[in-house]
Amino acid sequence: MLFQVIVSGFVIGCVYGLIALGYSLIYKASGLMNFAQGDVLTLGCFLGYTFYTLLGLPYWLSLIITAAIAFFFGMGEERFIIRKLQNKNVLTVYVVLATISIQYILQNSIQAIWGPNMLSYPRVFPWNNVTIFGVNIQTESVFCIIMSFILMMLLQVFMNHTKFGTAMRASALDAKAAKACGINPSFATGVTWGIAAALAATAGILLGPIYGVFIMLGQTIGRKGFAAAIMGGYGNVIGAIVGGVLLGLIETMSAAYWSSTYKDMIAYGLLLIFLYVKPTGIFNEKALNR
Amino acid sequence: MLLEIKNLCLSFGGLKATNDVSIAMEEGKVYALIGPNGAGKTTFFNLISGVYKPDSGTITFDGQRLDGKRPYQVNEAGIARTYQVINLFKKMTVLDNVKVGMHTKLKSGFIQSMFHTKSQQAEEAAIIDKAMDLLAFVGLKNHMNDLAGDLSYGQQRLLEIVRAMASEPKLILLDEPAAGMNSTEKVELNVLIRKILARGITVLLVEHDMKLVMNIADHIFVLNHGQKLAEGSPLEIQNNPKVIEAYLGGGAKK
Repeated sequence: MLFQVIVSGFVIGCVYGLIALGYSLIYKASGLMNFAQGDVLTLGCFLGYTFYTLLGLPYWLSLIITAAIAFFFGMGEERFIIRKLQNKNVLTVYVVLATISIQYILQNSIQAIWGPNMLSYPRVFPWNNVTIFGVNIQTESVFCIIMSFILMMLLQVFMNHTKFGTAMRASALDAKAAKACGINPSFATGVTWGIAAALAATAGILLGPIYGVFIMLGQTIGRKGFAAAIMGGYGNVIGAIVGGVLLGLIETMSAAYWSSTYKDMIAYGLLLIFLYVKPTGIFNEKALNR
Repeated sequence: MLLEIKNLCLSFGGLKATNDVSIAMEEGKVYALIGPNGAGKTTFFNLISGVYKPDSGTITFDGQRLDGKRPYQVNEAGIARTYQVINLFKKMTVLDNVKVGMHTKLKSGFIQSMFHTKSQQAEEAAIIDKAMDLLAFVGLKNHMNDLAGDLSYGQQRLLEIVRAMASEPKLILLDEPAAGMNSTEKVELNVLIRKILARGITVLLVEHDMKLVMNIADHIFVLNHGQKLAEGSPLEIQNNPKVIEAYLGGGAKK
């Protein structure tokens, strides 16, 4: 029982982590909170369903196509909405409001295209379960955890050890200084939003076979991903993952051993305590106005 | 000619900030751009480095047209610059600042980095070597692990110059490098500019400190009201009545 609980905590925790990574990347690059992040997960889930279930493409191919579409969606969102607003020099809160608008437009568009009913993926792997330590675990869950960790590692290498990753980090720290170093900060910021969206959509297609496909899937996960990002230290890449897994574990444990009805209350109560006790997050990001 | 600018114009509303300016620069010399306050020196720098787009005129660098190019494209073409207001990554270490400056020259891609190949390791090591070498060049090697924002003002200026050099430019534009430096640091700057030249990098600087300019420049361009007033050797400029008139008439500092 305990092992299974931990595994499902890890599954949802990894998904929170992927979403939180997106929040952190966007926060670093544009100084914003993007409310639409969770709904891009929903979009990814539906797109994956379309390619895999309706069009019969292989799962891995559906995953790649979905991530690619989401990447361009994220880049477009930044270029045609967010940056246009930022160039007008409006207050940050207006830009955040724009992301709320995008969130609801996206939700309704998904409903208009795919309808309001809950859908489900057929099995992805020919075998239902894998046995680890004598416990049966759903194969898709194991796959979700492994894929999440691979993605996080790839991102870490990409950000810290490649030319373009360096350009992204430099642009996020100081766009003007980056320009002086031969970097095109607007392109780097666009790619950052693209990566954030691709991560969310990938989380969606990984989660689809486990949780099912429905309109509100991403909204709740999106909010928790945000909580996870702050717990880890808002803007910190490793913190996002740790915060995500931690939140997933706390939530699943409280559901399993206490009350599944009040698991959110417990998780968010902890978050509130966390904000008081350690506002800088686990990895000490700047959180105080000084 | 390394840099050839012909009939460059830029207006802001009704103000002609750069008005039909033509200059030519050869490789391997120190050039200075001077003029009273508001003469359009920084605007001219911003035109060369791609921050502004000219209304008309051409900028040819190393046989390549640069007018209308973006700042990062100008940098790729081989022109690096520093700013009047210090423009460093203040929260990065001194070493990392130089490494970012070098990044346009990197070759290893994602795959090499992923698998941490030999070529990538060698490149990484070479980068650090080169960055340390550059830092030693301006005496900042001992500070390589400090945050750039913690350096003294003069040191930050030096770091900005080194970061600009890291992209291996053919031409470096220095916008008031001596601003905020004390007299010792100014002497060091003088030496540094000569050393930069010795590395085969041509220098164009905007500077208010006339003593420094007259000491170091091989050739001086004088701007006034957005137009080129005069050009020549320091001696010619010092004795040019039009220049003296512009400076005294404009009430600018000596």
